[in-house]
Amino acid sequence: MKRFLTTAASVALATALSVGGALAQSQGGTLVQITQPEPPNLAPYVSTSGPIAQVTSKVFDGLLEYDFNLQPQPSLANSWEVSPDGLTITFNLRDDVVFHDGTPLTSEDVRFTVMDVLKQAHPRGIATFRNVTAVETPDPHTVIFRLDAPAPYIMMALASSESPILPKHVYGEGDIRAHPKANEPVGSGPFKFVEWRRGEIVRLDRNEDYWRDGQPFLDRIVVRFIADASTRTAVLEQGEAHVAGFGAVPYQDVKRLEALDTIEVTTRGYEMISPIVEMIFNTKEPPFDNAKVRQAVNYAIDRQFVIDNVWFGYGTPASGPISSNFEPSGLFGRGIDFSVPDRIDIANRLLDEAGFPRGADGVRFEITHDVTPYGEEWQRFGEITVQNLAEIGIKATIRYEDLPSWLARTYTDYGFQLTSNFLFNQADPVIGVHRGIHSDRILPGTVFVNGSRWSSPETDALMDAATVATDPAARSASYQALVPLVTEASPVAYVLELNYPTVLSTQFADVITGPLGIYGNYAFAHKR
Amino acid sequence: MKSFNARFYGNPRVYLGLIWLAAVVIVAVFAGVFAPRDPFAIVGQPFLPPGSEGFLLGTDSLGRNVMAGLIHGARTTLMIAVLSTVAAVAFGTVLGALAGYYGGIVDDILMRLTEFFQTIPWFLFAIVLVAILSPSAMNLVIAIAVVSWPPIARVVRAEVMAVKAREFVQAAVVAGQRDMGILFGQILPNTLSPLIVTGSLMVATAILIESALSFLGLGAPGQMSWGFMIGAGRSFLRDAWWLVTVPGVVILLTVLAINLIGEGLNDALNPRLADL
Repeated sequence: MKRFLTTAASVALATALSVGGALAQSQGGTLVQITQPEPPNLAPYVSTSGPIAQVTSKVFDGLLEYDFNLQPQPSLANSWEVSPDGLTITFNLRDDVVFHDGTPLTSEDVRFTVMDVLKQAHPRGIATFRNVTAVETPDPHTVIFRLDAPAPYIMMALASSESPILPKHVYGEGDIRAHPKANEPVGSGPFKFVEWRRGEIVRLDRNEDYWRDGQPFLDRIVVRFIADASTRTAVLEQGEAHVAGFGAVPYQDVKRLEALDTIEVTTRGYEMISPIVEMIFNTKEPPFDNAKVRQAVNYAIDRQFVIDNVWFGYGTPASGPISSNFEPSGLFGRGIDFSVPDRIDIANRLLDEAGFPRGADGVRFEITHDVTPYGEEWQRFGEITVQNLAEIGIKATIRYEDLPSWLARTYTDYGFQLTSNFLFNQADPVIGVHRGIHSDRILPGTVFVNGSRWSSPETDALMDAATVATDPAARSASYQALVPLVTEASPVAYVLELNYPTVLSTQFADVITGPLGIYGNYAFAHKR
Repeated sequence: MKSFNARFYGNPRVYLGLIWLAAVVIVAVFAGVFAPRDPFAIVGQPFLPPGSEGFLLGTDSLGRNVMAGLIHGARTTLMIAVLSTVAAVAFGTVLGALAGYYGGIVDDILMRLTEFFQTIPWFLFAIVLVAILSPSAMNLVIAIAVVSWPPIARVVRAEVMAVKAREFVQAAVVAGQRDMGILFGQILPNTLSPLIVTGSLMVATAILIESALSFLGLGAPGQMSWGFMIGAGRSFLRDAWWLVTVPGVVILLTVLAINLIGEGLNDALNPRLADL
């Protein structure tokens, strides 16, 4: 972890230097990014499908950007101030921003985006901006958010990928959910949308009037869509494409690409996404209604073997529901360490205590293990789980289903016993973590919420306190207390933090400059 | 004219086929003796190449013994192939026999039904069936049998229609035998030779279908099979060639062996064709 901090610090320094030396960078070059799969639309303000913002984060700006320590940085907002009671947030906008059609940005565009679009139609924005009762625009370059309760996580949700600022004169006309410009985005970002050839590419050209003078350095970004995994690898290997992330390249191929001189691999740029691989227990039915049984399974999982052989080293053992990416912001907590050397003995003892003795054949009980249907890694993870559970006398049978069946089984019918799963922590635990363990997120029919149906008044209270606390120390204390309680009850086995590899061509530098990685705007990217 | 035995065993290609198939069957039957451990057990370092110590054919991406996988895979693959063929032959024979013997409206109804099944692309149909029924050994047998029976029904129907006109059948009718007695006692035994040939070749097809379904991830979960091994290994083709090659060659040889035997049977049972 120390190493991570030093890396983050040196990156921050490097970014600062490159900002200082901005004009010294050479102009020109076309950066080819691989995005997988092809996005369904280019409307990040109404759809949170992953690939969309990999494209549109270059076209739209957000009010803020973030550094690797998850601290807000200026973007469209030059400066900002949160009142001590957390009920008022004031942003001062830059006065030199124009949209791609030449119209200047004003505070009214921000008001429209937040109140009329994100709060109404953005799948996560509805929750993020729930407490925002009004957005006031005292002058064209001042925006004031009025809240009815503190919501400190709003300050983490203002990047272009999450809350893109739209020009009101374009998107204010017509139905925002089916807008004519949905696939021809108009923003104020460093690159202008030019064309989208379906199944092939999106082309973005340099915005000459970008507010960062002299930037961006690249002439063009081409986003390519290639359905076949081995072709994606080959294209990167040949230097025909220059950047790909988010599992677009199979993990075992990343190792081979990394060995090439023309390619570098980084796992930075996912600090505001923080995917966690986990297994959900059905805590309402035997045998997993017993916390000792759930803990035993937690101990049985050979996390390092899974990391090494399924995700080929691109992971670290998870220490609870909250990713270690939150360590710099103080929101990280450490729970029970399930990877101790005598973990199998502990697991066996727990199962004995729980009243599940081994039968004559060494089997304590049988279960069905559902595998989340997101591809081959998950099947391999399931096969390892079966072997790990056999060691402690649990005979598991794997069940593979299609995505709709699995979603219904896990989040609607609760017809599972133990299933693997995959959740993003997102930019703040309130957004990404609470949904998995809070009692108010036990919502049959809503996917990726609390499928274990476990909760306790104590943990609910800690999360509620962290939601409204404006003092970072108080939030930190809440999460420090929460995590041990959650791992103790083990409604979910948190297996590993997935560190997605991003494959980059060495022809380009400063492509990944922040915690959003390929969801960044590439304003600083340049040819070496 | 030479006897069946002489014609069948005198064929060197049949010999080769029988030797390989016998070896596979013995391995499948005694899988637990040859490889006592669970083939899914993680027993070594991942990606050990063939010839590594203790692993004649190497290990796969999770450190499972490829040899143990092949041995237990033989059992799964053969069992599913044989059971589905038996089911398809039984169903197809009954349908074809009834259609051929009774003719008329019965024939029309049964043959339209057969044609209905024949018009559906058989592999897509098998995928759909397994997807609907959910993957399991039993459902694989059902899916393969459902897509395999129509040719059997057609062969049997044609044979029954030909044999029905023969004198000994008319004699049985005159002697007052019941329909079922004539059909199953007199006619069907005389249609066996094409049925045996078609059936034996069908085992080979069933192995291919089972492997293809397993390759697509629709195989019986928790049961090692050759198709599953190829499917699991295909992502690592450039890093570990043996994961795909070894089971691929085994499938090839087994299907080839069954085809050789099937052809040998054909030649032996239809000596007039063989002499042409």
